[in-house]
Amino acid sequence: MTREEVIAMLATYGDRTADQVRERIDSLELAWLIHQVEQRHGVVLDLDDDSLAEMSTVDGSLAVLNKVLTGG
Amino acid sequence: MSAWIDGMLLSGSDSEISLNVGEPISCALLREEVAQRQVVLESLGLKAGGSVALRLPPSLAYVANLLAAWRIGAQVSLLDHRLTAYEVDRALERLDPQVVVSAQGTIPGGLRAFYQVTDVAEAREGSPAATAHAVVQLSSGSTGPSKVIARTAQSLIEEIERYTKIDGVPKPGERVVLLASVVHVLGLVGGLLYCLHAGVELAIPERLTVDSILKLIAASDKPTSIIGVPFHIELLASVENPPALPQLKRMTTGGELVRAEVYQRFTDRYRVPLGNMYGMTEVGVIGTDLFGENRPSIMPAPGITVREDEGELLIAMPESPYIGLTDPTRWVDGWLRTKDAGTVSPQTGLVTVHGRLDSQVSVGGLKVDLTEVEHTLAALPGVQAAVVVYDGGIEAYAVVPDPDQAGEVEAALAQRLAAYKRPKVIHFVEQLPRTATGKLVRAQSVLKTAK
Repeated sequence: MTREEVIAMLATYGDRTADQVRERIDSLELAWLIHQVEQRHGVVLDLDDDSLAEMSTVDGSLAVLNKVLTGG
Repeated sequence: MSAWIDGMLLSGSDSEISLNVGEPISCALLREEVAQRQVVLESLGLKAGGSVALRLPPSLAYVANLLAAWRIGAQVSLLDHRLTAYEVDRALERLDPQVVVSAQGTIPGGLRAFYQVTDVAEAREGSPAATAHAVVQLSSGSTGPSKVIARTAQSLIEEIERYTKIDGVPKPGERVVLLASVVHVLGLVGGLLYCLHAGVELAIPERLTVDSILKLIAASDKPTSIIGVPFHIELLASVENPPALPQLKRMTTGGELVRAEVYQRFTDRYRVPLGNMYGMTEVGVIGTDLFGENRPSIMPAPGITVREDEGELLIAMPESPYIGLTDPTRWVDGWLRTKDAGTVSPQTGLVTVHGRLDSQVSVGGLKVDLTEVEHTLAALPGVQAAVVVYDGGIEAYAVVPDPDQAGEVEAALAQRLAAYKRPKVIHFVEQLPRTATGKLVRAQSVLKTAK
């Protein structure tokens, strides 16, 4: 997954453009992002608290998602 | 005034399921949990007319302490568990409770609607309740310091009774899946207290993910209503192929309306009415449109009188809901100014809310006063001036002459403001645009050009 893909998924919440998506992710955006990833990849993400805490930025989310989606 | 707890809220049969929070909690078990907390609170000297602050996340411990304190006849202040230590200290200074109940250890984060926590009650050198109110909440005030909003037991009882008279609310034996916080008025009275009173099972998902919410709805055959905030509609509406949920009856939210296409998508995908409620911490539920028939308007709830004054909505209230220093124009001669722009139809009585008249915005259903954020940011060391605006999220523009201090500003703000109140981004600029008379410009188009 790329940074652009994460931003594109976040942008679908509230019909925003990519440059309206901010680096910091709040809990609503996080719930949204997880659901978008689950839908797109046909998986259920069972993320622990540490992973969820790390996902408070776009870069942090990218790192966590790449780790769990590749099983790493 | 404490008999209402047993009479109205804890009167279910022993085996009836009152709450479902990871596990079913029967009425008997809930009564036991409440009794345990009552022993602890009384051992710390809490009495009728005393004061206690709850700094607990949504949890069984929160529910049990709240009902125990009310049973004693004490006044309960509710502090959002997301407040920072700095905010909590300020709140305790202001409220001066005799007992504080908080959660032991670190509260796990991450999309939780409900927490398993161990509660610890501690006595402090506080004062008894200065008024006869049952519950006290702090809300951002547009002039800087927060407002102290209080409700009497009578006002809560009246609101519960108001709910029972509204067509379309869940009936005894049914179930509510609550996505809104039980610490705020919609989830507290419309969710928790109404469900306890009416014999409706209140189920809260452990996590606020789509998967966890849909599984919880499907987990019971009882007719189920969802109560949430607008974001939850967006989230559920985005599920392309939701499972068949024959038990689902309705979803109801408080707060602003969702866009027409989201409304359409939700009702197409779930085939249930999407209801809307309008309310305030000061009053509780004011009006509803639970069948989506009067969208975007709402019908005032039984016993509520709304009138329009120069484009602002006013609610009839016998007493001021504020304690202590407050803007004297908010409640005058039996009328509460909502600061919401709106109209009341003389023909039908339907109320249409057009939006806030002040600087308050809603972030995921939580009210944030931009003035409070701006004042806090501007008061930090190193910050010369600041403007905080809302553009799909909270954004700040700040003048910090020493570039080395910019990082410290974000850290200092994080200590003073709960995460949901913080700007998503702080733009550090050399100067802020001002009008000819020297006032800071708040127009986004102009701010974006600031360097």
